[in-house]
Amino acid sequence: MSANLYNYDVIVCGAGHAGCEAALAAARLGARTLLLSGNIDTVAQMSCNPAIGGLAKGHMVREIDALGGEMGVNTDFTSIQFRLLNASKGPAVQAPRAQCDKKAYQFRMKHTLELTPNLDLFQSLVTGLIFKSGQVVGVKTQLNVDFMAKAVVVTTGTFLRALMHVGKSKSEGGRMGDFSAKTLSSSFQEAGIELERLKTGTPCRLLGSSIDFSSMQEQPGDLEPVTFGFYDTRFGEPLFHVEHGQRKVNESILARMFHVEQPNQTKQGWMPGKDQVSCWITYTGPKTSEIVNANLHQSAMYSGEIEGVGPRYCPSIEDKYVRFAEKEQHRLFLEPEGRNTDEWYVNGLSTSLPFDVQYEMLHSIPGLEQAHMLRPAYAVEYDYAQPTQLFASLESKKVENLFFAGQINGTSGYEEAAAQGLLAGINAVAKLRGEEPVVIQRHEGYMGVLIDDLVTKGTTEPYRMFTSRAEHRLLFNHASAELRLLPHLQRFSLVDSQRLGRIEEKARQVEHWREKLETTFTSGGSYADNIRKGSSEAILPEEMLALNESTREEILYRVRYKGYLEREHRMIRRMEKTHQLKIPQDFDYQQVNGLRAESAQKLMQIRPATLGQAGRISGVNPTDVSILMIALAARNKACRI
Amino acid sequence: MPEFETIVAPATASGESALAIVRLSGPRCGDIRISALKSRESSLKPRQAVLARYHNIKGTVVDHLVAIYYPAGNSFTGESMLELMCHGNPLICQLIIEDCIERGCRLAEPGEFSRLAFTNGKMDLSQAEAVADLIHARSEKAITAARKQLEGSVGEKVKMLLSSILHTTAHLEAYIDFPEEDLPPEDQQGPKHDLKELIDELNQLCATQHYRSLLNEGIRMVILGLPNAGKSSLLNALTGENRVIVSETPGTTRDYISERMMIGPYLVNFVDTAGIHETDSEIEQAGIARSLEQARKADICLWVVDASAPSPALPAALDQVFEATTTLVVENKSDLPRHSEMDEFLETLPHFQVSALKGSGLQDLRGELLKQIESGVLIPDEDMVLVSARHAEALETAKSHIQSSLDLLQRDEPAELAAQELHLAIEAMGRIIGKIDNESMLDELFQSFCIGK
Repeated sequence: MSANLYNYDVIVCGAGHAGCEAALAAARLGARTLLLSGNIDTVAQMSCNPAIGGLAKGHMVREIDALGGEMGVNTDFTSIQFRLLNASKGPAVQAPRAQCDKKAYQFRMKHTLELTPNLDLFQSLVTGLIFKSGQVVGVKTQLNVDFMAKAVVVTTGTFLRALMHVGKSKSEGGRMGDFSAKTLSSSFQEAGIELERLKTGTPCRLLGSSIDFSSMQEQPGDLEPVTFGFYDTRFGEPLFHVEHGQRKVNESILARMFHVEQPNQTKQGWMPGKDQVSCWITYTGPKTSEIVNANLHQSAMYSGEIEGVGPRYCPSIEDKYVRFAEKEQHRLFLEPEGRNTDEWYVNGLSTSLPFDVQYEMLHSIPGLEQAHMLRPAYAVEYDYAQPTQLFASLESKKVENLFFAGQINGTSGYEEAAAQGLLAGINAVAKLRGEEPVVIQRHEGYMGVLIDDLVTKGTTEPYRMFTSRAEHRLLFNHASAELRLLPHLQRFSLVDSQRLGRIEEKARQVEHWREKLETTFTSGGSYADNIRKGSSEAILPEEMLALNESTREEILYRVRYKGYLEREHRMIRRMEKTHQLKIPQDFDYQQVNGLRAESAQKLMQIRPATLGQAGRISGVNPTDVSILMIALAARNKACRI
Repeated sequence: MPEFETIVAPATASGESALAIVRLSGPRCGDIRISALKSRESSLKPRQAVLARYHNIKGTVVDHLVAIYYPAGNSFTGESMLELMCHGNPLICQLIIEDCIERGCRLAEPGEFSRLAFTNGKMDLSQAEAVADLIHARSEKAITAARKQLEGSVGEKVKMLLSSILHTTAHLEAYIDFPEEDLPPEDQQGPKHDLKELIDELNQLCATQHYRSLLNEGIRMVILGLPNAGKSSLLNALTGENRVIVSETPGTTRDYISERMMIGPYLVNFVDTAGIHETDSEIEQAGIARSLEQARKADICLWVVDASAPSPALPAALDQVFEATTTLVVENKSDLPRHSEMDEFLETLPHFQVSALKGSGLQDLRGELLKQIESGVLIPDEDMVLVSARHAEALETAKSHIQSSLDLLQRDEPAELAAQELHLAIEAMGRIIGKIDNESMLDELFQSFCIGK
């Protein structure tokens, strides 16, 4: 056997949303990549709700797509319902959200992995890491086969020493039906990486034919879906597609997509947005609260069975009744899990109550009186590594060439995981090439906010992105993701040169027209003034109206919100000088006169890369930053002498 | 390394006095307490004044003094501290400090104790400033105001306002980030109402900046009058010092001169000005212009008339000043015979008879000034929170963002724009009490709304 079989540039451990992006990014950048998964039937599985996107998350998927990640396109081509959230608010806080066909999503992603050059997918559980003089050099697997690599990306999700709870019943596993990675944790601890526990949960799944939808409110998809992928810049690019039947391939790229064949259905791919499936809304009944309250002591969380901290934004139904006792009913969404299954997800009904209580509770809900459960709700506890142990490149500070992404970093959500996976994959390759890592700034996108929050502040609950976490949210309208991230795209060509050229052209057009509308006058001031005063777009030059919709909308956004956007840019420029002041990694905080011990300790632990990052560490106050700035200036002065 | 450093400095001004205090902060305090004071653990109880002898490192007694030991965590700076009250001889003070340095301490930089207290979280920024105010405060009232700030009243007030901003922000953010949650129907009436109230409160708080400067800088009392009415003599008489050149030549005071003194518990800043009259002299005209400028900035005006001179014509420029400002008429030179025109002139005017030269009538005048200070709007209520100029600037910034936010909501503009203004307001408030993490807003949000689709 050739040594090549066991030697790679990059190994990715875990094939969830983070792992898939990491492996694809590394392979697409030309690194020989191995993606290991304990079970390759669960590649890119949506362990919780069958949806991608929403506020801040949808924004992030567009950023992933802009950087050449897979999640956006994979969602577009397997989604069964699209909705643009906050359509009544301003463009900055509008976000696409899609219900996906869970299985189709997985199949398309798995096949994409299979077809990607430089990428090997292999089923075997990783049992430990192999270290050599402070670096990671490979992984051990359950097969007793070792794989060696120059860099390893760990994307193990909720599987480390995972423990599931249904009431008092406990079982090992990171997801119902799956295993628990029991030995990998100790490998991390050997290397000095500290682990803590988190908790999350998922509601029950129901059989659709046992649900009475007649009493529920329908929530259909949008007639004109807003997709996650940027198709105006990638038109013509060959996309993954499985052809069926005699249908002639439509010219439109949207028709040439992956689909799943099934009995009694027209053998055709569905266009994103075509034949959408509805979600349904119901509410808990008057009896539900009684049942929950009477059984609180049996809940794994309330009985103290679970030590991990659960998320504030995703409370269990027990939490909701305890913390908001005055609220009589709680809204529930029934979400279809796919076109080829009658399994339904009950959004809003997370619980760790025992199975019999779950049934009792379920049957107290209007429309679910006869519901049959396919899978019970459960809570899961797992190890995570506080992400302050990472550099902004997502590389471990303790072990060189070891990268972490996804839920192991204490995050929650497919989108947050994919974003980290993509960056970890890119940065693993950057490391091998001896290049500077890609670090997205807080003012460039949600991915920048995500990574910076994680490595600077750490987290004690599963971290979810909210738009309010971004101080420059107004700059982050989802449609501008490609333009915002362009400088990074120009460095790391995950997108092909054709698409890059189109993005650059779009950026030029947007700037050209924005400027032109400000400086070209028509009756009643410049075009821009007229637009801001509420004139219709019809007054604009025909040449501009002829631009494609996404370019046009971006120009109009920048014109309409000019004052607000300019203020954001001013603030960024003002902070830039001090915030981007680099702090050497070997900087000795203990030698800084006047810095209090507690701050010095925090700073030594986090080792911020810039003064701006230092200021965002919790517990480091503005005085510390001033003191640090003076010390850095003194040091630089000394260096020059 | 900062955490092993112990700093030492005199805490009282240098010069001979009954007592002088040497203050130490840092981990060596405990050792020095035992080795220099030769006190056993049991004899020097924390936070108790104890009589002791200070031995230098060679074992010679330097002074008998009173010492207080504060263990770490429960002291002004948060570190362990030692306060030595020695005899007020600068040499003794110096010997003790030098000995402490020999024992491994470092001489503190100016303000370092307060900075330690601030960085160790013993004080917020506004409290640290209050310490500076307390040291520089010139009147009893100012000391009270500074002490209240030291106790955190500005910080408390700002925190209260902040929690209201956070609440409103959380309300707006909930509808931005969680559009599919089962929230009550979106209604901006509540936020609008809350923002209006916030603006009112911020206005009131910013207005107290004026009181603060009255207390610290003194209440401005501007002495005005014709040349040679005896303005400078009155100032000298009131302050009891011959600081102002007095002469019989009219127009001696060409510029203004100010002098601080206490009236009751209040610091008063008397401003003597050049006499106001018609003149061709450019130098005098310039002096008169400055007098008028001072008059316009006055909290109280004193219009001095010469009782022995013919009745004065009120210069037109002063009319407006007298209308706008509390003005007392002082009839000076009451020791001389009153000029016949004066009877008629003073008949309609409440006034005080004073002889600056002989010193008569001054007590009554002081009494009246005290009455005016206390009855006027010059002095705030005892429990009013006073803000400094720096606070006011931050609060004004916060207020303007809140106003913008309110305007946006009233024009039905997108809520994210209004929320952005509130985030900027929160940032501005943070300049007073330290950085406010977005987590505080999220905490408020998840406490107020049942989020959990």
